[in-house]
Amino acid sequence: MSKYFTNIYDTVNTLWTGMRITFRHMMNIKKDNVTLQYPEERWPRPERDIGFELEDYNVIRTRLHVDIDDCIGCFRCEKACPVDCIKIDTIKAGRGEDIPEVAHTGETSNGTKKGFVVSRFTIDMSECCYCNLCTYPCPEECIFMVGGPHSSKHPIDYEFSEVDRNDLIYQFAKKLTPKQRNDLQQPKEKAKA
Amino acid sequence: MTIDFIINQFTEIIGNFPVAAFLVACASVGGLLFVLMALNAMVAVYVERKVSAFMMDRLGPMGQGPGLHAGKWGILQTFADAIKLLIKEDTIPKSADQILFKVAPFIIFIGAIIGLSALPFSSSIQAVDLNVGVFYIIAAGSIGVIGIVMAGWASNNKWSLYGAMRSAAQIISYEIPAGLSIIVPIMMSGTMNLQNLIEYQSGSIFGIFPNWIMFQNPFAFLAFFIFFISAVAETNRTPFDIPEAESELVAGWMTEYSGFRWAVFFLSEYANMFVVSGLAVAGFMGGWLSPIPGFLNSPVLGLFWFFGKVSFLIFVMMWFRWTFPRLRVDQLMYVCWKVFIPIAMLNIFGVGIWKLIFG
Ligand code: SF4
Ligand code: SF4
Repeated sequence: MSKYFTNIYDTVNTLWTGMRITFRHMMNIKKDNVTLQYPEERWPRPERDIGFELEDYNVIRTRLHVDIDDCIGCFRCEKACPVDCIKIDTIKAGRGEDIPEVAHTGETSNGTKKGFVVSRFTIDMSECCYCNLCTYPCPEECIFMVGGPHSSKHPIDYEFSEVDRNDLIYQFAKKLTPKQRNDLQQPKEKAKA
Repeated sequence: MTIDFIINQFTEIIGNFPVAAFLVACASVGGLLFVLMALNAMVAVYVERKVSAFMMDRLGPMGQGPGLHAGKWGILQTFADAIKLLIKEDTIPKSADQILFKVAPFIIFIGAIIGLSALPFSSSIQAVDLNVGVFYIIAAGSIGVIGIVMAGWASNNKWSLYGAMRSAAQIISYEIPAGLSIIVPIMMSGTMNLQNLIEYQSGSIFGIFPNWIMFQNPFAFLAFFIFFISAVAETNRTPFDIPEAESELVAGWMTEYSGFRWAVFFLSEYANMFVVSGLAVAGFMGGWLSPIPGFLNSPVLGLFWFFGKVSFLIFVMMWFRWTFPRLRVDQLMYVCWKVFIPIAMLNIFGVGIWKLIFG
């Protein structure tokens, strides 16, 4: 008989303990919360310590980036790509000439004079196999994998999932309106004629 | 505001058409009760998700609502859920009993809504003021079990049938302690009319404490807990959710249901919570009386106090749900037959003695 009552007492007591704990957690949710609202909040990225100097570690493969102002439109990266996911179009322009209407600078940061306006530079990152082969032939070192040795030029970026597959085709060239495109092509035809 | 009142108004304004008056009154009151039921489910589901999340150190729904995914508490989550449920496909298994399968959700729904119709929301707002209100609500609560057994049987699915059987066993068992402990307030007040029962609780103990039945003597205090816990068991909520135990029975008697019919089950579950909490509030916690004796009592504020107390009890039910593990079937029966029923009987005895000695 006494066991019966101790049982009841223990039950009530332990249940009450449990209820106190859950209530405390509910009240302290601001402090205890473990959920991260992902796209708005992220965990801080840990410091990289890979045992190398970043400068020496040259094989990091994250995603490609092109500094379009430095690109001379030489097509070497396009030719190097084994899966042909780089597509480049160029329009001939005066060598070393600035064309302010389309924000085209005549010289790269290395001082090379550009002969072309790059009117299209797309990399389909859904096809890219991250072989890094396109970055070696570039004479201006303007196509590179972000982060790593290039982190001074572009921060590392490993969250590049998209809702629409077409958004994975990265557009690096400056947007040209049809009229600007026409104007750029005009002088060439005049010279021919 | 009772049905009688609406019928009288109708007769006065439009004329003496008893059938039309009756239909109009029933439809309008029923519509209001349905709105209450839907709102209750909407709010309660949202609060339940938030409470459960907070108790587990999560955040719960955050995406839906103003400022989509900008950390604005997902206020519209239940609206999104409701829309999703309404546009879902309504599947009926080929081998199910077609008629029973379709009827079952509505029987459960009827059980919930007619219980709601006798609740005293305030001194003047009540759908029907019955002189056997307590008895009526307890009886209406049992209609649901017919629907549950029907749903379980008609689904032609072993999980559903198990769930229905367990539910029937559980509800029938727990109705006994619930009934025995609701006798305590009836004995003390000498009435089964919910309004009179609440009026009996007006006044104060020692001038400060509210004169609620649960505070009037120790037996009534115990009876309140037995009633409330049995009520939780009757609504099939955790820790008494063996009829729909996810880990064992998929979803119990709701396994085969989807879309709107499933939504009706859900609506009824939350309405049932409201009804049993309402009965506990009316029977033990002074109904629409203010918790501070004689302070801020009026028909309109009564509405506020009633809903406040009911919300508190519903919150306690959620608190139970997210704290306790599920009981085993034998433990469930042990608690009912060996703990609650003897104590409830002793309570009746004790209250009788108390009445004799202290009046
Ligand atoms: S990394 Fe390789 S696959 Fe990707 S664009 Fe460069 S060459 Fe092509
Ligand atoms: S190799 Fe370099 S400079 Fe040449 S087109 Fe590619 S990105 Fe431009």
